[in-house]
Amino acid sequence: MCVEHEHKVAETYLDSGLPRVRVSCTVNGESVSRWIDPTMSLLHFLRHELNLLGTKEGCGEGECGACTIILGGKAVNSCLVLAQEAAGSRILTVEGLGQGGRLSVLQEEFIKEDALQCGFCTPGMLMSARALLDRNPEPEEEDIKEAIAGNLCRCTGYYPIIKAIRTASEREREASQR
Amino acid sequence: MDSEFVYLKPPSLSDLLKHLEPWGEQSKVLAGGTDLLVLLRRHSLSPAYVVDLKGIEELQRLEEVEGGDVFLGAGITVNEAAHSGLVQKRYKAVADAANTLASYQLRNRATVVGNICNASPGADLAGPLLVFDAKVQIVSARGKREVLLQDFFAGVKKTILRPQELVYGLILPAVAAGERSLYLKQARIKGHDLGIVGVAARLDSRKKFHLAMSSVAPTPVRLTRLETLLNDSPWSPELPEQAAEAVREEIRPISDVRASAAYRSHMAGVLVKRAIRYLMEEG
Amino acid sequence: MMRPTMTPGRSEGTREERTREERTRSEGDRGETTREEGITGKTVYRQVGQSPNRLEAREKVTGRALYVHDMEFPGMLYAKMLHSPYAHAEILSIDVSEAKALPGVKAVLTGRELPYLLGLYMVDKPILAQHKVRYQGEPVAAVAAVDGKTAAKALSLIKVEYRPLPAVLSVEEALAGKVLVHEDINTLDYVKGVFFPQPDSNIASWHKTIKGDIQKGFAQAELIIENELRLPQVAHVPLETHVVIVEADPYSPKVKIWSSAQSPFAVRNLLAKAFGLSRADISLVVPYVGGGFGGKAGIHLEPLGVVLSRACQGRPVKIQATREEEFNQLPTREGLRGRVKTGVTKDGKIVAEEIYFDWDGGAYADYSVNVGRAAGYAGAGPYEIPNIELHSRTLYTNKVFGTAYRGFGHLETHWIIERQMDLVAQALGMDPYELRMKNLLREGAATITGEKITAYSGRVDQCLEAVAKEISWSGYQSALEREKAFQTGKARGKGLAVLHKAPAMPPNTSTSAIMQMDEDGNVRLLLGAIDMGQGAYTVMAQIAAEVLDMPLEKVKVIWENDTDKNPYDWQTVASKYTFMGGNAVIRCAQDLLRQMKEVAACVLRSPSEELTHGDEKIYHVQHHDKAIAYKDLALGYTYEDGTGIGGPLIGRGVYMAEGLTNLNPETGQGLPALDWTYGAHGAEIEIDLESGEIHVLKIASAFDVGRVINRKLAAGQVVGGVIQGLGSALIGGYKYSPEGRLLNPSFTDNKIPTAKDIPDRIVPIFIENPQLDGPFGARGVGEHPMISVPSVLANAVYDALGINFYELPLSPERIALALARRKE
Repeated sequence: MCVEHEHKVAETYLDSGLPRVRVSCTVNGESVSRWIDPTMSLLHFLRHELNLLGTKEGCGEGECGACTIILGGKAVNSCLVLAQEAAGSRILTVEGLGQGGRLSVLQEEFIKEDALQCGFCTPGMLMSARALLDRNPEPEEEDIKEAIAGNLCRCTGYYPIIKAIRTASEREREASQR
Repeated sequence: MDSEFVYLKPPSLSDLLKHLEPWGEQSKVLAGGTDLLVLLRRHSLSPAYVVDLKGIEELQRLEEVEGGDVFLGAGITVNEAAHSGLVQKRYKAVADAANTLASYQLRNRATVVGNICNASPGADLAGPLLVFDAKVQIVSARGKREVLLQDFFAGVKKTILRPQELVYGLILPAVAAGERSLYLKQARIKGHDLGIVGVAARLDSRKKFHLAMSSVAPTPVRLTRLETLLNDSPWSPELPEQAAEAVREEIRPISDVRASAAYRSHMAGVLVKRAIRYLMEEG
Repeated sequence: MMRPTMTPGRSEGTREERTREERTRSEGDRGETTREEGITGKTVYRQVGQSPNRLEAREKVTGRALYVHDMEFPGMLYAKMLHSPYAHAEILSIDVSEAKALPGVKAVLTGRELPYLLGLYMVDKPILAQHKVRYQGEPVAAVAAVDGKTAAKALSLIKVEYRPLPAVLSVEEALAGKVLVHEDINTLDYVKGVFFPQPDSNIASWHKTIKGDIQKGFAQAELIIENELRLPQVAHVPLETHVVIVEADPYSPKVKIWSSAQSPFAVRNLLAKAFGLSRADISLVVPYVGGGFGGKAGIHLEPLGVVLSRACQGRPVKIQATREEEFNQLPTREGLRGRVKTGVTKDGKIVAEEIYFDWDGGAYADYSVNVGRAAGYAGAGPYEIPNIELHSRTLYTNKVFGTAYRGFGHLETHWIIERQMDLVAQALGMDPYELRMKNLLREGAATITGEKITAYSGRVDQCLEAVAKEISWSGYQSALEREKAFQTGKARGKGLAVLHKAPAMPPNTSTSAIMQMDEDGNVRLLLGAIDMGQGAYTVMAQIAAEVLDMPLEKVKVIWENDTDKNPYDWQTVASKYTFMGGNAVIRCAQDLLRQMKEVAACVLRSPSEELTHGDEKIYHVQHHDKAIAYKDLALGYTYEDGTGIGGPLIGRGVYMAEGLTNLNPETGQGLPALDWTYGAHGAEIEIDLESGEIHVLKIASAFDVGRVINRKLAAGQVVGGVIQGLGSALIGGYKYSPEGRLLNPSFTDNKIPTAKDIPDRIVPIFIENPQLDGPFGARGVGEHPMISVPSVLANAVYDALGINFYELPLSPERIALALARRKE
């Protein structure tokens, strides 16, 4: 984007009279920057500004966990974060789990255990699981349940999800010991 | 969000207070956002400004201060409190409550002070903070004041905080070694849920009980009559059951969509009994 | 072994082992294992009974699977709806002038401009409320605007004047009929002969099943046990709320819709009827669906999308329900009051039963009348009852309306009937296992509608036996044993319950499949049904690969279902698709094989009768080197000199339900069931006697599925379904204020189980007594795991506490207060 054009966008006022604001952050390892409505949620920013549609909205009120992402190393409900709050942060979404066309261990285990049916809660579930394994590589079953208790799933009954996270943690530990 | 507002993130406390001085009525302070953003999204609130306090370094502290007291800044999240060795060791009831609040993701954003400022009758952290006689440090451009937490609540979702003021943090008074405390909560489900009764109990080094409850009155409350009864009674195996009966006399819970008054009252007794029994055994 | 050549040894071995294992599990199969099965004639399988991963799993774990929720189009507008604050009120006026004047608003519509009525069976529902509102949450106006924020602002500018009317909020008030929810019930259009609305009443349909003579039956009875049980409305809670995008050209009849829907062909049909369009003018596209559970089976936001888009010059309009609308505007599961009177002999034989099911169906009939009908033929449970009178009345009330929900009334009716069986056993002083065993439907018995049960109908007794064994059932505890447990503060109990369900569908229900082969020998399969996570497409691909004897990877199911391109299917409901779709796909694959053999017969100069197939080849039964690979036939065979014969391969397969009939309007007698899937649950629980919390230690669930096609997916249906049933049993339920306002329209107060609320263990057990006309012997099992979960838990609660519960949910509160009352 050329500087002149950027200024033009920057000066744009929304219909509400509010000026657009610039938000820059790192998403899945890539630096991004956008001029946006100042009241935009981080979820909306990811989905509509960055076209990262993997992250879902199930309730918009922090109750279902479908919008879970990792912000600054921590799992959060992106529907309850303003995009501006995330300025300067590092963000990981489901699109950043795999690398170069290869699935992550966690994704592979979700497939193997059939830890998904309709798939709508899956991205948020994966991000809660990723954050768990990052802070606790050897989770007990109770830790896993606690970590995903804020992610509602109406299809699977959770058992295959819990198992997938456990086996993924084992595989990741083995891989790190090698 | 359906509301229209300007987002501000002042880099210092004085900047924030300078803003609140004229604009306090039209501003909402944003800490974790887990309550505020729900309201902004639904357009239930329409502040002109949303003022984020996360840019202010000094509010992000959780540390021991003079006299062995602990300061917990307005920016400290519920998970930070739950995982803090200081809190776990000295104020276990606070850590217990922090671990039962909402979901893991929400606890990564929600703040302890935010839970207090929201002043929900069911605020999980209120009871534990009450039994430790927590003090609320309030600042404005005009100065500082400090109130006891029990005087901070003014009614359902109401506090004594003025629009120009900010809660700077909480002071948890020093505790002696060997104190015991815990928080017990009854909810409808085991996962992410609001409590329908919460009991915080502490046995101090002089073997005095301190008790508080949430969800049984318009604000979280200290159970002063029960404390007197317990602290005036000799310890006996019947004491927990007596406490259960006494608490049912003391509280006047309401019926709502989450639970009936009868069940709240019943569970208040059960949780008090369990808490007293635990403290007597551990203490 | 039927095929001369197959994939190499190792997998062959596992196949045989699996077959042996299946035999030991399925006792009913003993002595009949050599019998050829179904219409395929195969007994050893390459795909069937295996556990391949679901086909779409990669898209779903990478976030690449797109749902309507995710879709946007150029120029798209966003719509929002205004809802009634009253349960029942007359609309005196609506002023939309300010909303219309707001910049960015493209259309504002109210019911007065929309003289349409829609309905699956009773044509009773306006697109937006017309002269009155019938439930709190009913949409009265809608706005389409350039963004959601503007649409929301416009809504706040609409002024509606209401005159509140007295509301009908219970089945009792509905039956009293003093206030009518539909004052025009006498003139509403409906499906005649199948549903029976009663004049000047709130009874949307009164279905009767009458068999034998209950007067005589009760006269023979040595004991008569009467009970009344209830359960509230419960929400489906798909994680993706209802959402549509509609593009409706105002200058032509063309309508294009993207919808999160289970039944695109049914939506197309109803839209065509409502708007007077031809089916061909309407295209419905269904990409990935974020859960349905019956809530997306009917027609919901689509008609509103059509009128809004037309009002906006055909710009695409997106309507995405909020979570609150999902609870409060969109339909839910009916509530039910059941009254049942059972006459038994002293030795426990049921001789007569009288049942009244009164459904709290809410403001519009939607599927509820058909739920009521299904309850009419299945609501007495899988028992042989010689004399029965069953009345199933679907009632209008001023509440969120009811629709299909996984199990289609059977969780509800089995709550009544499977509790009643335990209550009867208690009255008789009999083991409830024995009582059930004595009365279960078996070969030679007749159902309450007169259908004969055969040796191939499935075995409910084996299901019950399996779960009883799994939980080591040995009868109720004695009062003494209970007393002893009470001293510990925790009480344990065990319970049993059985279930049955057949697909609830018209006798002439059909489905179809199309298969095309590419020049690399891969096949593309087009289906009419929707895969919303239940795994239907994976199962269909396995069946296709099985029949064609090719690797699963070479079968591609076309995911985005488009009514313009995909072949017809009635609806993705009723646990019917493995059966019906499976049969259609078998026929489709056989059609492809037949075409290949015809061409190969010319090329190989052999009669096609002497040709067989395997490993992606057509070859001579005796001379295996006389063979042609599928891929060489895919676009027609080409000789060395360039001459071609045959042509591109396109297979077709249809399946239409066989042997079903309408039910007699007076007696309900007839053949409603394509197949019955039987099942049973056994539960072990522990109750905290102070808090009243139920901790479920174990649920064992057995189903006679005839034949498991995909073990992993079938187990997934069981485990997920049991947990949904657990939600209905312990947690769920709508709560209303005395004025009829829904008090819990959010996840804050309308809960579903989380990962911390699941039992210690769930044990799925599959019994495999093949259904002769099922694909490889298979029956459906999508809904069944939910059914009877509430009853099995309440039966276990009785065993633990000696207290019977008659109402759901079995919340800690309900149990603790009952214990406290008993103490007093």
